[in-house]
Amino acid sequence: MAYKDLRTHLQTLADQGQLVRVTEAVLPEPDIGAAACAVNKLGEKAPALLFENIKGYTNARIAMNVHGSWCNHAISMDMPRDTPLKEQFLQFVRRYETYPGKVEERATAPWEEVVIEDDINLFDILPLFRLNHGDGGFYIDKAAIVTRDITDWDDPETQNVGMYRLQVKGKNRIGLQPVPAHDIAIHLRKAEELGEDLPIAICIGNDPLISTVAAMPILYNQSEYEMAGALAEEPYPVTTARHTGLQVPWGSEFILEGRILSRVREGEGPFGEFTGHYSGARRMPVVEITKVSHRRNPIYEHLYLGMPWTEIDYLMGINTCAPLQVQLKQAFPEVQAVNALYTHGLVVIVSTKVRFGGFAKGVGMRVLTTPHGLGYAKVVIVVDENIDPFNLPQVMWALSTKFNPQYDLVTVPGLSVLPLDPGSDPAGMTHKLIIDTTTPVAPETHGHYSQELSDPVSTDVWVEKLRQLMPKA
Amino acid sequence: MTKKIICPRCESEHTDILTQSPVPGVWEVYHCEECFFAWRSTEPDFITDPAKYNPEFKLTREQLDQSGIMPAVPPLAKR
Repeated sequence: MAYKDLRTHLQTLADQGQLVRVTEAVLPEPDIGAAACAVNKLGEKAPALLFENIKGYTNARIAMNVHGSWCNHAISMDMPRDTPLKEQFLQFVRRYETYPGKVEERATAPWEEVVIEDDINLFDILPLFRLNHGDGGFYIDKAAIVTRDITDWDDPETQNVGMYRLQVKGKNRIGLQPVPAHDIAIHLRKAEELGEDLPIAICIGNDPLISTVAAMPILYNQSEYEMAGALAEEPYPVTTARHTGLQVPWGSEFILEGRILSRVREGEGPFGEFTGHYSGARRMPVVEITKVSHRRNPIYEHLYLGMPWTEIDYLMGINTCAPLQVQLKQAFPEVQAVNALYTHGLVVIVSTKVRFGGFAKGVGMRVLTTPHGLGYAKVVIVVDENIDPFNLPQVMWALSTKFNPQYDLVTVPGLSVLPLDPGSDPAGMTHKLIIDTTTPVAPETHGHYSQELSDPVSTDVWVEKLRQLMPKA
Repeated sequence: MTKKIICPRCESEHTDILTQSPVPGVWEVYHCEECFFAWRSTEPDFITDPAKYNPEFKLTREQLDQSGIMPAVPPLAKR
């Protein structure tokens, strides 16, 4: 594996010119949130940030924007840093299709160096801070969170690693947001039906791949660690955290163990979310932390999210497209590519071959019924196979010319969506839309598409010739 | 007599010091036991001062207690 932990990954980012060390003294607020917001304005080559001099702390280090550009994403996947987005996507899908990868259980881990079990105060242990002004508190938002089904504990397929926001509300008390469509909500429901607490491990400061997988909508019975092994193309190292018995990444900086309190809900939020809106406040589950383990001189990794695009859009972009593509192709091999980069797939663009009239609408319906589509996929745009869904000018051309609302618009009422969608009403419910921009084929007949332009012969030759004639920079 | 710390968000007096900066005297972090708000003494005054806190984000315990529940608490299974 390219990176066994966050430290080796930060070193590689530094070696490739993708890490900025901030050595001037900064205030936790507003400086770190502002800087991490600002770095997203630097575009596709934006670097990661490592804050090394934070006012009030003696030796805290905070890493931000580790995944926050296509260059950083490429490096996290051990690809050349300038790999184009489409190529990163195809490579990601190719590795995904080798699932399951191997998992290597290691007896001990570096995060066992320091153990705290008495008088836990997370505000003393972690350099927590506020990201956005309206946030209701200090959040942990880039942790890999591990739970299992307590009614089927010995089945490793039930173990889940996900990324959910955490509001640190007291010295060892955390508010947790388990969105109902996510796997952790299944574990919580089963435990709460029995009136039992749910063991939980919160892993902070990780190798880049487990963050990518934790934020990835894979199937319930798929293992995140086996997916990380597939993406890494070598065994993924884990260690069992003894307090809870949950498997956690071997390379984490911090491991917080505890339990989700059964049948307890308590005020949480608001929090500035990836939708570009604050979430509002709701009553959500509560975690009590009973053991903390961490490396010496640990690095706290955090993620800025706000008005898109921010780091989270890079972190949950390609890893949302890939499983949707694989799941869609199982039903429809005609599917060519899936672009679910926008707001975690609230908009999905699918290119597909069309076998007969109405086929594209069927593909669109299948998007809505994928596990991820159930909670996202509010607008699905289906385009012809010759349209690259990652090329928005091409998609806009299809929408401009191939689409007639009289025939090509399907509204599906009363479906689920994540409650963070500010357009949902009530929160969590929405109509959904399929926009069919494919060229009608028999027996569907509408519009006049028999005379679509094609490039003059020898255009390809001229492209290369002109490229050679261009002045050299 | 020490000055009472008022929660900037819900204006409750039920607040506490969560932690102090490892370098003495740089900042303190407080939290509100009513609305669970947390803040640091060195944040801008529109975060720390109840009179200047953004009215759009003011939130009381009563409002929180009436907010939506996510996810819903399931019925207990019959044993």
